[in-house]
Amino acid sequence: MNQHTVKAYGDELNQITAEIARMGGLAEAQVADAIDSVARRDIALARAVVERDLKLDALHRDIEKKAIRLIALRQPVASDLRRTLGAMKIATDLERTGDLAKNIAKRALILAEGEPMQPLTRSIERMGRLVSTRLRDVLDAYTASELDRAVAVWQTDDEVDEHYNALFRELLTYMMGDPRTIGACTHLLFMAKNLERIGDHATNIAETVHYEITGEDIVGERPRAQPTAEDSDPTPNLSTH
Amino acid sequence: MSYDSSPSPVAPTSTSRLWTVGISIAIAVGVLLGLAFVHPQIAGWLVGGAVVVAGSAWLLNAQSPAPAPTPTPEGAPADGPTDPVTADLLDRVFESLDDPVLIVSGGEPDDIAGRRIVMANKAARDLLRIHRQGALLVQVIREPGVLEAVDEALFGDVSRTTDYTTGGQRDRRWRAWTRPLSTEAGEGRDPLALVVLRDETAARRTEMMRVDFLANASHELRTPLASLSGFIETLKGHARDDAAARDRFLDIMSAQADRMGRLVADLLSLSRIELNEHIPPSGRVDLDRAAADVVDAVSILTQAKQIVVALDRGETRASINGDRDEILQVVQNLLDNAVKYSPAGGTVEISVRSDLSFDEAWSSRMPGATRLPLVTPDRAAGVLYAAVTVRDHGPGMAREHLPRLTERFYRVEGQKSGERQGTGLGLAIVKHIVNRHEGGLVVESAPGLGAAFTAWFPMVVERRDVRAAS
Repeated sequence: MNQHTVKAYGDELNQITAEIARMGGLAEAQVADAIDSVARRDIALARAVVERDLKLDALHRDIEKKAIRLIALRQPVASDLRRTLGAMKIATDLERTGDLAKNIAKRALILAEGEPMQPLTRSIERMGRLVSTRLRDVLDAYTASELDRAVAVWQTDDEVDEHYNALFRELLTYMMGDPRTIGACTHLLFMAKNLERIGDHATNIAETVHYEITGEDIVGERPRAQPTAEDSDPTPNLSTH
Repeated sequence: MSYDSSPSPVAPTSTSRLWTVGISIAIAVGVLLGLAFVHPQIAGWLVGGAVVVAGSAWLLNAQSPAPAPTPTPEGAPADGPTDPVTADLLDRVFESLDDPVLIVSGGEPDDIAGRRIVMANKAARDLLRIHRQGALLVQVIREPGVLEAVDEALFGDVSRTTDYTTGGQRDRRWRAWTRPLSTEAGEGRDPLALVVLRDETAARRTEMMRVDFLANASHELRTPLASLSGFIETLKGHARDDAAARDRFLDIMSAQADRMGRLVADLLSLSRIELNEHIPPSGRVDLDRAAADVVDAVSILTQAKQIVVALDRGETRASINGDRDEILQVVQNLLDNAVKYSPAGGTVEISVRSDLSFDEAWSSRMPGATRLPLVTPDRAAGVLYAAVTVRDHGPGMAREHLPRLTERFYRVEGQKSGERQGTGLGLAIVKHIVNRHEGGLVVESAPGLGAAFTAWFPMVVERRDVRAAS
């Protein structure tokens, strides 16, 4: 880095925004590849995901350093301050997203040792696709500073929960039907949980984007449906069919 | 690439050729003058010859073009700047290229904010929603592989192709070509790189489809086939002389054969629709008329079951961009399902509404029920939607079934769909058609309350309406 050239303040801010976009792209790719590695039983891809997580961590540290430097040297105020702080928050969410993707890839490695579980991995893939879409939408909203898109992501959080609940029941039915699948099903269950949490991080980012653009928190009713599967005992419902 | 800017190791440039000519002429003149000095007897002739050679050399020099043109940047034609017609034509060619094309400038190697879009054609601007010149590359393409390839083209002079997928409801497969565009001016100027994207979705899709079709078809056809061969065996064996049993078996067999036929037809239409999913439909359909046509078509079925179909066509014409056959199939499949799950003597309501905003289109129609969007299109500004809702008063579905409804062969357990067994592909087909039309699909249901399916499509833009009328 050319330390001697004094960059314009605006350039520095833009650079942080650009770094976030790049980090977002990497996190998106990590999630997509992790899901692919589960669906296709691709060991090489899963290993690549695990390795690439280091890069995401490095980017996270870098962004944080730059943001702190900017705050210390330039004392940003108003929207500039929100942008800087927003970048730090989003970087943390993206880093967590990457960790969860890495975890999915690690479990994919274990699953690949056993028998294929076609219908279940399909369900994971479907849920993963939904979560990827949300991540993409919220990052699009961030890079284009589009408030509507961010709010739209924030409002549709229950879709992921529905998928998670459906998957939870499906897995439970499988495990009850054939106890030998319990090992694999548990891994799939954790994968589903990880995906659900990635969805939550996307929602967090949507909130940050909203704060960054308007300076206010999102108010209003988020369509929060009934409690998620783990809060209630789902077994009684299984006997209804 | 223009010829002037490709220095060949063999051919000297035009300037050095000129020098060679000048030097050889000077030598010739010198030799002639020298000879004239040695042999004074023919000096008159020799001096005359020298004058002729020097004169013609001067003439040649005067006629030959002014110093060779300065090298122009690669990619631009040598006469580009001087010929406005060609430049304009090239501009228009660039603009009208079907594949998105970007030119990216470098900045500093370790500064991601340095990669800016210098130029983008219309396809690229539309696809990546680039609103201004000089936008950051990373804001429109986040794919790490492509960003890396761009860096390599800018600072490493390496050309590459990168495959990547953009996720979402309709995932697309792209191939990105990255090429360095080195500028002759060299030092101090930003390196440039060319990025060309190409949509490879269709090719990949065809390949996937074949695999999926085989797996689905063979799995689903196995059950009716097994029962057919079972009955044939029985008829050949001990049921050979039992007339009553034979008739009953033949009835079952023909029902199974019908089912296989329907299944094959549905699978074929599903794979056809999936192949076309990324090609926008051309044509215009009036959603209200389509609904009325379908209601007429299923009247035989509904009369047999004594089901009343109440159609509300809405006040205005609901014109949408779409493929008529496919839109009919959407309404048909939704109505089929509603009739199938309605008790005898029940009612099915079908309503068409138009001029809805994005949020109105997918708003709730059935208070108290769980609502779940099955297909959500990308939000587009200023687009109005027309929606068709089909509501039945059947048993309804619990919320855990809703996310999986559009899955192939998914069935809500414990529900009987009547004598005419479905293929389990109806809603999958609806989903793909809706996707292709950039519309949405919402289901609302609760156990005991019945179900409402709403499919909504972008309406024809008014502007085009006026042009068509005039």
